[in-house]
Amino acid sequence: MQLLQSFIAQDIIAHGLSMGADFVDVFIEKTQNEGFVFKNSRAEDTQSGIVFGIGIRLIYGKQALYGYTNSTDREELLRITTLLGARIGKENKTVAPINFEKLVYPKIPTVIDREVDAKYKLSFLKKIDEQLRSDQKVSQVMLNYSRKNQHVEIYNSEGLIATEVRPYIRLFHQVVMKDGNLQTEASFGPGAIGGWEFMEGLDTNEICETLLKQANTTLYAAPCPAGKMPVVIDNAFGGVIFHEACGHLLETTSVEKKASVFWDKMGEKIAHSALSAVDDGTIAGSWGSLSIDDEGMPTQRTSLIENGILKRFIVDRLGETKTGHKRTGSGRRQSYKFAPASRMRNTFIEKGPHDLSDLILSVPNGLYAKKMGGGSVDPSTGQFNFSVQEAYLIKDGKITTPVKGATLIGTGPEVMTKISMVGKNLELMAGMCGSVSGSIPTTVGQPCIKVDEILVGGQA
Amino acid sequence: MKKIMERVMNNVSDLKADGDLILSTAKSLKMSSQNGSISEYKVSSSQILGVRIIKDGAVGISYTEALDDDSLKFMVKQALENAQANEPNPLEKILDISGAVSDEASYPESATDIKLKTQKALELESEVKARDPRVVAVPYNSYSENEYMSHYLSSKGRSTTYSDKIYSITSSALLDDKGKKANYYDYHIAHTFADLQWNKVVENSLFHARNILEEKALPTGKYHVRFSPDSLKSLIECFSNFYSAKSAMDKVNPWANNLGAQVISKDISIVDGPDYAQSFRISKFDSEGVLQKPLTIVGDGVLQSFLHNSVTANYFKTQTTGHASRGASSSLNVSGTHFLIQGKNQKPLPPKYMEVIQMDGLHSGANRVTGNFSVAVKGYLWENGQKTMTFGNITLSGNLMELLKNVEVVGDKVEASTDLSFFSVPLVFNELSIAGA
Repeated sequence: MQLLQSFIAQDIIAHGLSMGADFVDVFIEKTQNEGFVFKNSRAEDTQSGIVFGIGIRLIYGKQALYGYTNSTDREELLRITTLLGARIGKENKTVAPINFEKLVYPKIPTVIDREVDAKYKLSFLKKIDEQLRSDQKVSQVMLNYSRKNQHVEIYNSEGLIATEVRPYIRLFHQVVMKDGNLQTEASFGPGAIGGWEFMEGLDTNEICETLLKQANTTLYAAPCPAGKMPVVIDNAFGGVIFHEACGHLLETTSVEKKASVFWDKMGEKIAHSALSAVDDGTIAGSWGSLSIDDEGMPTQRTSLIENGILKRFIVDRLGETKTGHKRTGSGRRQSYKFAPASRMRNTFIEKGPHDLSDLILSVPNGLYAKKMGGGSVDPSTGQFNFSVQEAYLIKDGKITTPVKGATLIGTGPEVMTKISMVGKNLELMAGMCGSVSGSIPTTVGQPCIKVDEILVGGQA
Repeated sequence: MKKIMERVMNNVSDLKADGDLILSTAKSLKMSSQNGSISEYKVSSSQILGVRIIKDGAVGISYTEALDDDSLKFMVKQALENAQANEPNPLEKILDISGAVSDEASYPESATDIKLKTQKALELESEVKARDPRVVAVPYNSYSENEYMSHYLSSKGRSTTYSDKIYSITSSALLDDKGKKANYYDYHIAHTFADLQWNKVVENSLFHARNILEEKALPTGKYHVRFSPDSLKSLIECFSNFYSAKSAMDKVNPWANNLGAQVISKDISIVDGPDYAQSFRISKFDSEGVLQKPLTIVGDGVLQSFLHNSVTANYFKTQTTGHASRGASSSLNVSGTHFLIQGKNQKPLPPKYMEVIQMDGLHSGANRVTGNFSVAVKGYLWENGQKTMTFGNITLSGNLMELLKNVEVVGDKVEASTDLSFFSVPLVFNELSIAGA
């Protein structure tokens, strides 16, 4: 299905070029959203909707002008183009007609095996709810199911037409546990590019057991001691530390403004030699994967750091123009309401040689962060902070007492040099990343790692 | 727009269902600069229509950004299907109020030339660079203007219209002094272009960034803490579930069973004030069309009321307080308007305390169910009335419930957050944990 008639896209692009733009692209999006919130053991919020709009971008040298509307009306789209072009005020010129050629690209395999109705989905959620409520201390269960079918169509002044349909599916589990005055919560949010078969494939028994175990542990955990100490961060969502402490600093959105501490470090050692990391958009079914980015470039696996040496940045079209680094198929955006920017996809630390037990054994006195929460970073200074959802003290090379309320803070360049051991147990985990072009699905990941020293915030 | 809404409402009525509609439209302009030229220029016009249908007691929601006939019919069909998938909820009904009310903004302003706007937008970068040679970049800078309009129509005959125009500016300063970096940003909002305080955002960004260059970690320990109004607002709003009847209904409000009990210091009161004189203008009615009025949430330390919409009011067998919130694409919730913290029994400032001006990581470092938080903070150490150092690279940990019990009022002049949505008398919180050097 075509979202915008080609001749209208052609007219917009020709109009932009005639106003002196060096490059013009048109991004059309139609997204169907569906969501259920299962709470208080019932479907509390069932909703669906259509997001539709068109974004127009004119690039003059290193300057980008962007406009968007919900209208497919040719005159309205030309009016917006005029408004953008008038900002620069170049003389009008004659433009040769553009012949579009549909981009043929390798599609990431996606299985959407069957559609199921709302009642079936709700009965699936009900079973999970019952399983989680098998522990009498559980006071609330919230299951947030969301499905998004994002259809994008991209035209540009280089004659490109590219389209992709991206089916996102996710189930966010949250359980609240109470015992007297003590309260805690645990959460888990697996997601994928795919259909209902992803939900059927979830090991719900294991998920429920893990969530209940985590909640039971943190409910009675002692406050975390504060101070600088070695920290072993376990796999999967532990990768949020690399995402925040380093990944954002490698996006040309920060690099081009010199607002990243790594902007002039290409080819230099920025991390411990034990560490290699990639940003890979091509992993089949993975939440952060794309066949093409939102600028119509086929996505790729980008090796960012190899044995501690900075090899590539994460680059979009404007980033390439401004920094000279080649595009990596990383131009991404939340929706047509945002101009594309360089953003991460599936970003992770690669496997190392160690078992988790090796890392724990090497720590006489420190913290084992089994499950990380979220975090944030200021790319310009590299300063970051993360919360830890489930943590234990390490004494004499052994995991001991559970603790709660731990936060890790530091700076990206510093912590990257202190990751001295990397494990074998690489796992990825879905998340949402917020930045200049909105909130997008990204995957974080890592095997377990050991950070030799980091500041742990806690109450004890 | 009114006709479109009436047509959709007729479709809802044809289904023998109740319902309400929210139509939001927006126009915006945004400019940012980099290296002396406008690097981002963004214009937009957008719209979204959402419907909530209540059929046989069950609720379904749908929305669309395309307003052609087919899309509108599809939206109503989807909302009906969603309602049919849900179990009936006897608590959720369209409020039986009618009549049209309007609250449309009108500001005395002459048209501002785009050239002047562009020049001022460029100055958000150039002025910062000109005032300190150590500025290596102005990573966050923007000028934006946004016009909003929102219409509400219910099947019971209630209709409301709200419109507003908001201008905002942001600037920042990234300083590099012999390899040590510091960044700070500030912003300002106003209803007219003429009221924007351009110099303030430039000066504040530079002032704090210069100080942060000198930051050092404080020794680990317990400290008295005073939050800037913006930091205190972030902290109080992060735990908005404490004041929400919806959260109490969902069993994620630790104060759920404490109505009538003393929950915080008896020297403190917390009031929700939609029409507080110094506040930034907001709509006079909530998302169910109910007129809003001031509400004391906590009076002299005693929890007096939660924020209610009609559903939570039905659940708790009380009246809505006019705090329903719902966007075109979302379900019914509750939210506050402007928060005002009042205090009595004023005490002198302690001889030594931390002033927190920046707090990072609250979105992930706070547990909304327990009230525990642990965040990275920056600010100034005050000793005997003098600012003696800038601190950073430390974490601050605590529990909101305990923090509000162990607080002292240290002044009577109300301070406002930058966005004029939060107001508080000066407070000092005792014995908070710091992890640092």
